[in-house]
Amino acid sequence: MVKLTIRIWILIIILVLSLLVIKPNFESGLIIKSVDSNSTAFEAGLRSGQVIKSIDSQEIKSMEDFSKALAQFPTKEKTKLIITTKEATYTLFTNETPKITVGQIPSTNLKFGLDIAGGSRALIKPEGELSTPELNDLIAVTTERLNVYGLTDIIIRPTSDLSGNTYMLIEIAGANPSELEELVAKQGKFEAKIGNETVFVGGKKDIASVCRNDASCSGIESCYAVQGGELCRFRFVVHLSEDAAKRHADITSKLGVNTTEEGRYLDQKLDLYLDDKLVDSLFISEELKGRVTTQIQIQGSGTGASREDAFNAAQKSMQKLQTVLITGSLPYKLEIAKLDTISPSLGKEFTTNILVLALVVFAAVSIVLFVKYRKIKITSAVILTMFSEAFITLGIAALIKWNLDAPSIAGIIAGMGTGVNDQIVIIDESVSTDLSSLKERIKRAFFIIVGAFFTIIAAMLPLFWAGAGLLRGFALTTIISVSVGILVTRPAFADILKKIQQS
Amino acid sequence: MEEIKKTESKSWYNKWYKILFAIPIIIMVLSLIYLGIFYSKHNDFMYRDVSLSGGTTITLNGNVDSAEFESSLKQNFPDVAFRKLTDLRTGEPIALMVESSSAPEELKPAVEKILGYNLTSDNSSVEFTGATLSQGFYKQLIYALIASFILMSIVIFVMFRTFVPSAAVIFAAFGDIVMALAAVDYLGIKLSAAGIAAFLMLIGYSVDTDILLTTRALKKKQGTLNERIYGAFKTGILMTGTALAAVIPVLFLMGSLPDSFKQIFLILALGLFADILNTWLTNAGIIKWYCDKKGID
Repeated sequence: MVKLTIRIWILIIILVLSLLVIKPNFESGLIIKSVDSNSTAFEAGLRSGQVIKSIDSQEIKSMEDFSKALAQFPTKEKTKLIITTKEATYTLFTNETPKITVGQIPSTNLKFGLDIAGGSRALIKPEGELSTPELNDLIAVTTERLNVYGLTDIIIRPTSDLSGNTYMLIEIAGANPSELEELVAKQGKFEAKIGNETVFVGGKKDIASVCRNDASCSGIESCYAVQGGELCRFRFVVHLSEDAAKRHADITSKLGVNTTEEGRYLDQKLDLYLDDKLVDSLFISEELKGRVTTQIQIQGSGTGASREDAFNAAQKSMQKLQTVLITGSLPYKLEIAKLDTISPSLGKEFTTNILVLALVVFAAVSIVLFVKYRKIKITSAVILTMFSEAFITLGIAALIKWNLDAPSIAGIIAGMGTGVNDQIVIIDESVSTDLSSLKERIKRAFFIIVGAFFTIIAAMLPLFWAGAGLLRGFALTTIISVSVGILVTRPAFADILKKIQQS
Repeated sequence: MEEIKKTESKSWYNKWYKILFAIPIIIMVLSLIYLGIFYSKHNDFMYRDVSLSGGTTITLNGNVDSAEFESSLKQNFPDVAFRKLTDLRTGEPIALMVESSSAPEELKPAVEKILGYNLTSDNSSVEFTGATLSQGFYKQLIYALIASFILMSIVIFVMFRTFVPSAAVIFAAFGDIVMALAAVDYLGIKLSAAGIAAFLMLIGYSVDTDILLTTRALKKKQGTLNERIYGAFKTGILMTGTALAAVIPVLFLMGSLPDSFKQIFLILALGLFADILNTWLTNAGIIKWYCDKKGID
């Protein structure tokens, strides 16, 4: 048994720690990402975070299995559907596809960037310069707005570039909400007006609460054919604050009454504006005249070529309206500087290709080194060190929850490249035939290695600030990887090499 | 026998190193002239992709019948450019990238109209960068490149503390960038932000061998100068060789990788090739001349 040095032990311990942090997961099944709270699935007890194992006793391993198991919907009659999760079994009676979204169980703690996992990214520039508290306000409102809209897995942070521009960076992993642009870049100024007078606006000051996800006070009311397609109308109830209700009473008390076929209404309508555009005009029934009423029904519509399109459009605009009513308008005018929505399907292809590439790189480097040194032991020591370096870098990335995008991974591979370079320097110095002591030769090797280390750090450092930090990942993984190299793997490698030469 | 060969090679290098030194210098001058002409033509040192010039990239998943699609889209968007992504194993097209300086609001409906279906996040990706932001990005990345070069130079000066050897290393790194950039321009590659980041990495990466050479030539005591340079060359060429062995496979998988990956590895490959010349002909030549002058042997 070879006695291991302390440096080799450190390497082994850090490798084990990295494995624990990355935490590979081999469980099968699909994880529930969201459950519509108005659905039978929700009533049955399904919640996000549960792991679906089987549906109607068919095993569910992939997204394909999932869609196959639910292919029967929509059915005419309500049918029984048994969904088994890791913890329990749920039975639903339904004639439509259960309103749940599912995803693969993440196989590791590694997080991948948008260009690999898919998702959306927006870089928003406020008009004019904002102070830090102002920017934080903007971020708070935007976060709330996206949360109210139903998006929870989001990262929003302020970022700035070398020229002093400040931005708000929004990243949504794995989802591409179609309304993102409107949600994050439109101010979302909601106003309800009678004539020229504002009755209430969106936000906490005027709106006490908004009914949503409750079929008794919010939902699609009716759908019917109109010229060129279909139209669906939605309605939902909002509760006004007392101030706003009083304002409503004051304004309506001055209005006259019109008699129409459908009934008696006030002679002016309640006009709903979103970002200064008229969304809908509502008749005000006679009995509301001058009354302090806190409950108001908001209505609107959506159109589409088919009934389904119209239904979805109506639902979306209802959701949007509810969102801005709750959160109020964004305090600043905003401009979209960058907006990327990346489809997740291509990323899968890329992941496989990058893995294949990594194997090819390992093979190519092994062959070159073996041809040169003709020693299996030395070659495998280099390859093992190279692998350790990449693995520990991934471990650190998982630890700091870094989103690995394609440039980050390129940084890891390039870092492995410098690692191999350094090991070649160590090997050549240690086997060199010159007469200086081994210690002196290793010292010289480390002078070269430390020099190379600092030059690469110096070269990558500016990327932390340039370009709103979008290439920070590339710099970060390179720097982590070369630092791991110089602090952990290189000293261990020098010791391993000594052992190999002694034996 | 060995001894004679060694002495022969020694005198050979003594005689020829100045001529060898001229080779990379000529290539560097040609590259600089090429870049100068390029600049006067395009008012810029490189072609930029939409992430650095502003515009939209739409990536259509699947095998899109491209010929017809491309010609009809070109009628409305003359500046549009196309690239295919292929499957690694089968070589089948897996996606088509459409790039234009237009905004997504204009490009997307036009693409949808020709394809006859709506673009969703299941069948496509849309990336948009505003013109002001991309201009800012570009400027900052160029500043970052300059900052990176200066920081690297400082590290080199701190390491060697003598002017000529340090300057030689920095000059070699400069040569790598100039040659790689000229090659990228010549190949007509449109650089993205990741591409410029690759140049920063090249600055840090390519000086490894120069540091090795300079350390061995100046700090090692055993052997003659030529032997030391030759020893460094043997180690250094293996370093660059393995790096190229790692980078070159990527070039064959180009169609199947994310764009940022392709650019980073292509630029590193070009830079490493240039580095062979700049380290072992330029830098070695200067070190040899410097040591001869100083009487270091």
